[in-house]
Amino acid sequence: MPDGVATHHVTQPDVTGPVTAAEARREESGGVFWTLVIGGLMLVVASWLLPWFVEETSNGIGASPQDALTQLFSGGPTGVGSFVVAVMGLAMLALVAGVVYDAVGNVTKRWAPMRWAFWRGVIAAVGLVCAVLIWILIGVNREEPLFGNITNLASTDNAVWMTMVGFGVLAFAYLMRDFVMQRSGVAFTIVAFIVGGLFPLIFNQSASFIGWGASIAAVYILLALGLNVVVGFAGLLDLGYAAFFAIGAYTTASLNSPRHGIYLSFWLIIFIGAAVAALFGAILGAPTLRLRGDYLAIVTLGFGEIIPDMAKNNLFSQTGGPNGITGIHHPSIFGYDFGLDSRSYFWALLVVIALAVITLRNLEHSRIGRAWIAIREDEIAANATGINTISTKLLAFSIGASVSGFAGAFFGAYLGIVTPEDFEFAVSVTVLSMVVLGGIGNITGSAVGGLLIAFVIFWILPHAQEWTGTFGATTGVTSLSTIDFSQYKFIIYGVILMAVMLLRPGGLLPSRARRVELQSGIESEALAAVQGKA
Amino acid sequence: MSGFLEVDTITKRFGGLLAVHDVSFEVNEGQIISMIGPNGAGKTTAFNCITGLYPVSAGDIRFMGRSIVGLAPHRVAKLGITRTFQNIRLFSYMTAVDNVMVGEHCRMRARVWDAVFRTPRARREERTVEARALATLRKMGLERYSDAYARNLPYGLQRRLEIARALASNPKLLLLDEPAAGLNPQEKVELMGVISRLRDEGLTVFLIEHDMRVVMNISDRIVVLDHGEKIAEGEPAEVRNEPRVIEAYLGHGAASASAG
Repeated sequence: MPDGVATHHVTQPDVTGPVTAAEARREESGGVFWTLVIGGLMLVVASWLLPWFVEETSNGIGASPQDALTQLFSGGPTGVGSFVVAVMGLAMLALVAGVVYDAVGNVTKRWAPMRWAFWRGVIAAVGLVCAVLIWILIGVNREEPLFGNITNLASTDNAVWMTMVGFGVLAFAYLMRDFVMQRSGVAFTIVAFIVGGLFPLIFNQSASFIGWGASIAAVYILLALGLNVVVGFAGLLDLGYAAFFAIGAYTTASLNSPRHGIYLSFWLIIFIGAAVAALFGAILGAPTLRLRGDYLAIVTLGFGEIIPDMAKNNLFSQTGGPNGITGIHHPSIFGYDFGLDSRSYFWALLVVIALAVITLRNLEHSRIGRAWIAIREDEIAANATGINTISTKLLAFSIGASVSGFAGAFFGAYLGIVTPEDFEFAVSVTVLSMVVLGGIGNITGSAVGGLLIAFVIFWILPHAQEWTGTFGATTGVTSLSTIDFSQYKFIIYGVILMAVMLLRPGGLLPSRARRVELQSGIESEALAAVQGKA
Repeated sequence: MSGFLEVDTITKRFGGLLAVHDVSFEVNEGQIISMIGPNGAGKTTAFNCITGLYPVSAGDIRFMGRSIVGLAPHRVAKLGITRTFQNIRLFSYMTAVDNVMVGEHCRMRARVWDAVFRTPRARREERTVEARALATLRKMGLERYSDAYARNLPYGLQRRLEIARALASNPKLLLLDEPAAGLNPQEKVELMGVISRLRDEGLTVFLIEHDMRVVMNISDRIVVLDHGEKIAEGEPAEVRNEPRVIEAYLGHGAASASAG
């Protein structure tokens, strides 16, 4: 090599964003850390508020923290339990105050956020110990079993579980901060799957919430992961993703229901469903993938409308028309029948999600993932560099579709019925906004976005009327109970999409590339224009 | 005759516009061949025809005796022809080493199955390819920037990274579309050194260039296009004195003045 090359010094463009992949990784770790902190904090605060939402609070041991604090400061402690609850409540306050302090410091730029991280970890650990003590006290002092047919203390049980998990996450995030920062992906995965696995226990008194977890949250997270391959990795805007979801659901429904009198094993069917969805992904892809950008979006939009319509029109008398396919058999494993127990579905789906995450991660970091991203960045250059763009894009479509095939299989098996209404355009929009909110091209982000939107749209909105109704009844404003929040669903999508694009265009957890684009894009483009190099 | 790359009377039409008209030339193995001509002469169009980005309207292109007309760009790349672009087309939001590893794509064998399960074979291949990509970066003097995002590199280094990416698939013929455009004199000298070195290592280089000093210094042969037609071909010294070339570049009067 000539000396001139080795000693060649060129002034770096003056950019503010991460210049190297290592810097981008560090920022990504920060995002995961904050996700854990805010998520843990939300659980802790929610556990405090939960008794208000569900039913009136009880007194004494197992009361909600605000009861215990009131007792402690007005009439003195009434028992060992109140003292423990009070300490836990103070820990909550300290942690919430700490994050508020950080936020204020960050906004006013007066002090650096995240001081005393270690002591916050200690506070969280103290809170965790208190929560465990409370849990034990409840168990000891109550005649009924902890997970029995309890109705009167039900919400308290859930609240204590939530507190334990919330403090646990906070203690992990603050005390293991170095680990979280260095191996952010691993740390997030560990926390996500532990909390996910505990979910049915945390909410064991609220069957409908576990049902939401199994049939909505887990299914939609899976869908968001699949769509992220198509939209995020390969950069192909797919507005008809629900079609593949429908194909997976209808395939499994047909093969395990009285409709055709075929009863195959569910565990075989999910793979058939995924394979058929992947096949349709390829069939749709073959003629359309020569299209680019907007044109592809329009064609997929059409496809997404055609499939549910075909199902509605009882295609070849196979799909049951508007009534769909009913009586789908529930899966069973090793002689254990899933039946209507939503917990089994939830745990099974959690395993599927884990496998999907591993698979997609491996793909992302392979030759194929690189090819997808190259196509997203510059299709012509990718093609001229030796990537078969058609087959690579088809593969993205097929893999994205097959993931939704799995989701469809579980969806149908859990509900026992599939109808065309389950796969309307709204489903495609929902999944797309999940990916956009979470962070296009980021697996962790897609999962987080999926969870958040599933929670807001499919849990908060349907229940908001109840809550405002209760609130209105106590305050005397009866008109509050007549607001139907569910009809504002699309407003919420619109607000989320606009807010994300304006405030945080890369989503909550932007992918590395997107982070570079957003932070360095404006400055370096202006610079390039000045230098005449754009 | 069987040359290395034979372009045989190709024509490329865009509607009524004849961008390339009955152009024929040959590229011999182990040489540096330059294509020059005024703006809009059809040079880049000819490149796009060779690399399969445009289908030719008529004519034939043979590479090592095999017709490559109608082949998709990735097939052409796999046969051993890779290229750079006039307006740099890097994968901006990938790191330098990832850009080069994309260039290795068609040499890699890992299938979907290998990727999903991270089979030992796939992992071994990934390691080899990364090492090879780093070696390619080193060859182009970019090893310090392997972890930097392509878009954050200075312009001159982006040009070089594009060459590194094209070299990653171990091509037999390298097409460079105005590699010196926008470089300062110092960078141009370095680039010429790099290109001659590649030729000395046995690579055939075919380049489009406007900078006459670059062209005359390093080319073994020159093809001149004007208005989509070939007006001259030969060694630098011959082409330099060709009246039609002078006319194309400097206008009619200049040609007669020079001839007279």
